[in-house]
Amino acid sequence: MQPLIELQDLTHTYTDAENNQVLALQKINLQIGQGEFLAVIGANGCGKSTLAKHLNALLLPTEGKCLVNGMDTLDEKHLWDIRQTVGMVFQNPDNQIVAAIVEEDVAFGLENIGVPHAEIRPRVEAALKAVDMSAYALHAPHLLSGGQKQRVAIAGVVALEPRCIVMDEPTAMLDPLGRKEILATVKKLQKEKQITFVYITHYMNEAMQADRVIVMDQGRIVMQGKPAEVFSRVAELQALHLEAPLAATVAADLRRAGLNLPQGIITNEELAEALCQ
Amino acid sequence: MSIRLEHVDFTYMQGTPYEKQALSDVSLTINKGEFVAVIGHTGSGKSTMVQHLNGLLRPSKGKVFIEDVDLAGKDPQIKACKQKVGMVFQYPEHQIFAETVFEDIAFGPRNKGMSEEEVEQQVREAMNFVGMDYATYAKRSPFQLSGGQMRRVAIAGVIAMKPDYLILDEPSAGLDPGAKEAIFERIMKLYQARKIAIILVTHSMEEAARYANRILVLSKSRILLDGTPGEIFLHHREELRQASLDIPQTVQLVELLRRGGLKLPEGLLTEPAVVAAIKKVRGLH
Repeated sequence: MQPLIELQDLTHTYTDAENNQVLALQKINLQIGQGEFLAVIGANGCGKSTLAKHLNALLLPTEGKCLVNGMDTLDEKHLWDIRQTVGMVFQNPDNQIVAAIVEEDVAFGLENIGVPHAEIRPRVEAALKAVDMSAYALHAPHLLSGGQKQRVAIAGVVALEPRCIVMDEPTAMLDPLGRKEILATVKKLQKEKQITFVYITHYMNEAMQADRVIVMDQGRIVMQGKPAEVFSRVAELQALHLEAPLAATVAADLRRAGLNLPQGIITNEELAEALCQ
Repeated sequence: MSIRLEHVDFTYMQGTPYEKQALSDVSLTINKGEFVAVIGHTGSGKSTMVQHLNGLLRPSKGKVFIEDVDLAGKDPQIKACKQKVGMVFQYPEHQIFAETVFEDIAFGPRNKGMSEEEVEQQVREAMNFVGMDYATYAKRSPFQLSGGQMRRVAIAGVIAMKPDYLILDEPSAGLDPGAKEAIFERIMKLYQARKIAIILVTHSMEEAARYANRILVLSKSRILLDGTPGEIFLHHREELRQASLDIPQTVQLVELLRRGGLKLPEGLLTEPAVVAAIKKVRGLH
């Protein structure tokens, strides 16, 4: 099967305010499949957000290629098709909401791309339903909780019917309940609408729920695999200033003390099972 | 040496259709030398409560005292007392405004009326406390620093005021794990060196369990629980659940292991304690 997004030796350099050449991404090769939930982790400044901005041509490769559904982001005539294929959700919901009523906010993008009026209402309703916000269609966004606001922002993207949604730390400003709401929404959209998710986060317990995790450092992909593979490499994660899950850290300490434990333990349940036989 | 709230009520937009009671009958004393974590669901009243501690909000009912001075009274000491309480808001880097790191940190001490020499001394000390080299950063623009470094500048600006009580509203929000660790290492160093009170508002049960020696749980505009991390997380599970709060990962793990038959003691809160206890029951060293 053809991947939805394919990065071939993607490199991005830019000149900073002090006139230094900065190599933000170095020869990234990555394929993202249709319907995949891919988590991206890494310390601040590792290139995660720069990578994300390439996926819908907000940034262009200075070398190499970014192909979205076969379309090259360097080819300007595909720009609008690419932006409709890949939608983005950012960290701060307050910066993404434009209208004074929830349903008008969700309709904004559709109006902008010239969707016929008769089609707008059903698409807005479907998008709000998909993020479980139908009951708030006529509410004022500024009176909603952070998690609810972020779900409205997601609905605005879902209404455009993208095949992929890139989320750049969508839960960084939310409380624990809001974070759970967003993750549940992502999983629901992945399952029901086969939307592909590229999900950047600092929360390892969120990345643990993805299909695949990539770890970035200094503009490169340094680790990748299923969550159980990546998160059980405790020492490597710590060297990158990342946190391994508690169960993986405890398991690593116990192995070092001579206890024989199976590989790939990342959840408390798995550790309890291994220790309590 | 304490901040005291006595039967404090606070209502937002009183007398309008949007009236909302954010605090009801909150009484509490925070002593110098305590590290208090304030936890609670969004809208539980955490931020409203901490804004009473330095007089940013005035109670609708009840009284606030800083070192026995009634903030609603006419004591000439009121201003000096409020200055003993430093407040680092959420995303404090959004409040950075000056052209250089030095100027930004110097703003508070200058306003306090210190001489230029004293100001420089305070800025040096504050930068040292947050782990920023004076020679490297003092003349740099704060806006070209990373998010974690900008947050250190903002915290240094409050530390330079030499507060006796330091309020931190989610100081680690949005930082990567390495930067989080660095910020808390500095906060702990400050806490231990100056014996001040730290009031930490957080959504992270791990942070509360790891750093605080007292936890306040707010729910529905009241103080629901007040105790040590051990008391709160080990003996008040049901109340925490009702306040839509989690328990730390360590406590969850220990519970699973005990249920599975591993004979671990109660009261394990930190990761090293959990590892040590497992090693002991398994006879490892």
